[in-house]
Amino acid sequence: MEFTRMMEGNEAAAWAAKLSRVEVIPAYPITPQTELISHIASMIARGEMKAQYIKVEGEHTAMAAACGASAAGARVFTASSSQGICFMEEALWMPPGRRLPIVMCMVNRSIAPLGSLRPDHNDSLLQRDTGWIQLYCENSQEVLDTIIQAYRIGEDRRVYLPVAVCYDGYFVSATATPTTVPDQEDVDAFLPPYEHEMYSLMPEDYRRPAFPLNIAQARHGVQQAMERAKGVVEEVDREYAKRFGRGYDGLLEEYACDDAEAVLVTMGSMTGTARDVIDEMRAEGKLIGLVKLRGFRPFPTEELREMAKKYHAIGIVDRNTSYGSAGGGIVAIEAARALYPMDDRSLLLDFHVGLGGSDITMRQVRYMADRVLEALEKGKVEKEVEWVELLDLGEVM
Amino acid sequence: METDRLFDESYERGLLQGGTTCCPGCGGPLFWRMALDVLGPKTIAYGDGPCAMCALSNVKVPFFGLHFSFVADGSTGIVAALAAKGRGDITVVSSAGDGAIGDISFGKVSAAAERNENMIQVCVDNEAYMNTGIQKSGLTPFGAWTTTTPLGKGSPKKRIPMIIAQHGVPYVATVSVAYPRDLKAKIRKAKGIRGFRYIHTVMPCPTGWRFNPAKSVEVVRLGVQTWAWPLYEVEDGVLRLTLKPKQRPVEEYLRTQGRFRRLSQEQIEFIQRQVDAERRRLLKFDGKSIIH
Amino acid sequence: MSHVIRAFRPEADNEKCVRCGNCQTFCPEGTVMLTEEGVVFDYRYCKGCGICANECPVDAIKMVREA
Repeated sequence: MEFTRMMEGNEAAAWAAKLSRVEVIPAYPITPQTELISHIASMIARGEMKAQYIKVEGEHTAMAAACGASAAGARVFTASSSQGICFMEEALWMPPGRRLPIVMCMVNRSIAPLGSLRPDHNDSLLQRDTGWIQLYCENSQEVLDTIIQAYRIGEDRRVYLPVAVCYDGYFVSATATPTTVPDQEDVDAFLPPYEHEMYSLMPEDYRRPAFPLNIAQARHGVQQAMERAKGVVEEVDREYAKRFGRGYDGLLEEYACDDAEAVLVTMGSMTGTARDVIDEMRAEGKLIGLVKLRGFRPFPTEELREMAKKYHAIGIVDRNTSYGSAGGGIVAIEAARALYPMDDRSLLLDFHVGLGGSDITMRQVRYMADRVLEALEKGKVEKEVEWVELLDLGEVM
Repeated sequence: METDRLFDESYERGLLQGGTTCCPGCGGPLFWRMALDVLGPKTIAYGDGPCAMCALSNVKVPFFGLHFSFVADGSTGIVAALAAKGRGDITVVSSAGDGAIGDISFGKVSAAAERNENMIQVCVDNEAYMNTGIQKSGLTPFGAWTTTTPLGKGSPKKRIPMIIAQHGVPYVATVSVAYPRDLKAKIRKAKGIRGFRYIHTVMPCPTGWRFNPAKSVEVVRLGVQTWAWPLYEVEDGVLRLTLKPKQRPVEEYLRTQGRFRRLSQEQIEFIQRQVDAERRRLLKFDGKSIIH
Repeated sequence: MSHVIRAFRPEADNEKCVRCGNCQTFCPEGTVMLTEEGVVFDYRYCKGCGICANECPVDAIKMVREA
């Protein structure tokens, strides 16, 4: 029975795992993911969910167990954050290289030192080279829907890649918003049981990919899967929208962008705050729009290039740091590369904000939007990279 | 050739392809030939670790491996998947070397034991990181030469079987390829038990222990006969010595291997005292519970 | 096809052989088999380690220098 109620992101994720009929869940607790796995444990204990929940002793083990279970034919779910993601780093390279479509929640939390239990995006972005698909969610509803979509995406035979469903700790994981939980039957119709063409460890039906003799070729295979994944992410989202009435525009969403020439690009929970500020500014007659980056991997290069033909000033909001980088945060660097070959290149501004999980305030968003509009007007960028939290915007914190 | 067909059929039946990349005289394939004879085709093998891989690459049962820092955890996942699919008829055997189990994955083995994971965990113990060029591990015995302990290892060998037994798992056993009947009986027994079972085998290594490969089986036979390598099992916490050989001086065992060449008479006597103490402890607790 | 390089190869004197099976039991590679005719070797994969010769109680197997 479909129902709607106030629900925190972690609980929504647990419901999604249940509806996706996951079979094996190897997980280790870490704030702010903890409620997710305790919800799962409760559901299993009450007999509402049938899954093997392995209470492993560490995240490195969790991801290894996930690989073993996935290769042996089970649909696998796990979740972690920050230090836990770092601890399983070695294991995180295995699923993409081995083409195992595991789905994990990366409940964003800043990495120590110079961090806290609260979110920024360094922990998930750190994994951007591994071959994991990365989708960023704005609220509990999107978390639930995206996890279900993620199994369809990852298990698609054109893809066979693992998917990280990323959402901000506390701001999404522990904030209750209205969430609709779909009917199990409807989800079953959307998500068939897990079958891997390349893998079976059953003695009567043993099959597995051969050890690659040419490493470059094998890696190119993963790259090609990632490229095909773009189309699959869009396709799956469209089908989901048709069936369940909720869609997320695939990899990129344009919000309030009609006749705007300046946009802010956001990722994760900050998008919610940004929507309100953009609405306010629009009401004041300012032509500023919002682009929500839902997919970071595969990076929507073509889509961004297409959009940038309309937006001559783009402000990237980077909730991360990359010390000593070519210029600013990780999202800006990827966007800059995507936009580089354009004949008429847009102005690009980058803002570091919300680091270590500090709240991104409406005033900060307005400041960033004002800078983008200013750049558009002047036809040039005064400061390429700004650390917004170091400015005195006259706020009482 | 006639014999070619004979041997090819034998490799199929034996579930291990002849001609592994192991060193001549390595105890690894020998252990697996004996073990797979008992385990049978309804087995999934999991493991890694350089030496372990050389033999495991040739098994004719489904195989999955990650890296030697992943002992018992990938297999934990496989066990869970089999449980989810109701395939209790398949045995999961997880294999790793002494460096993997004693050092880098020590916590993992302990955790799998604590969770009583339904698998047979094998330790193929050649007493150092051999495939990477003979470096010391926690299970390298006192006084042994390795490239990282050129003057002989100063610390004693980590006593893994007993540590695992203290977790209260259903079955722990030490085996030696020089005693195939004992080895097969223990693996057969382990196969019939549910929960975490641990088999610790000595794996003679001519390359790292420095001896003529032809003497491989002879050396580990001497290991058992000198009580340097006692053969026992711990079933539900109760210790049972499965062999009580007439004790030969440990010097006989040490002298067969170049890695002990630098030992002084004093050190040999020290080792003899350690072996004697262990032998006395084992005899004292033979037939009794050793869980504290 | 993989190629084994040996320094020595085992050769059996089947008159001396008492059919105990030690050689077959202790060969790591499984390249020694005891048949009705006596001991046979799989020279495709035998590495010439010499365990079979060492474990034979009646010295029926000799390790001979590979040509």
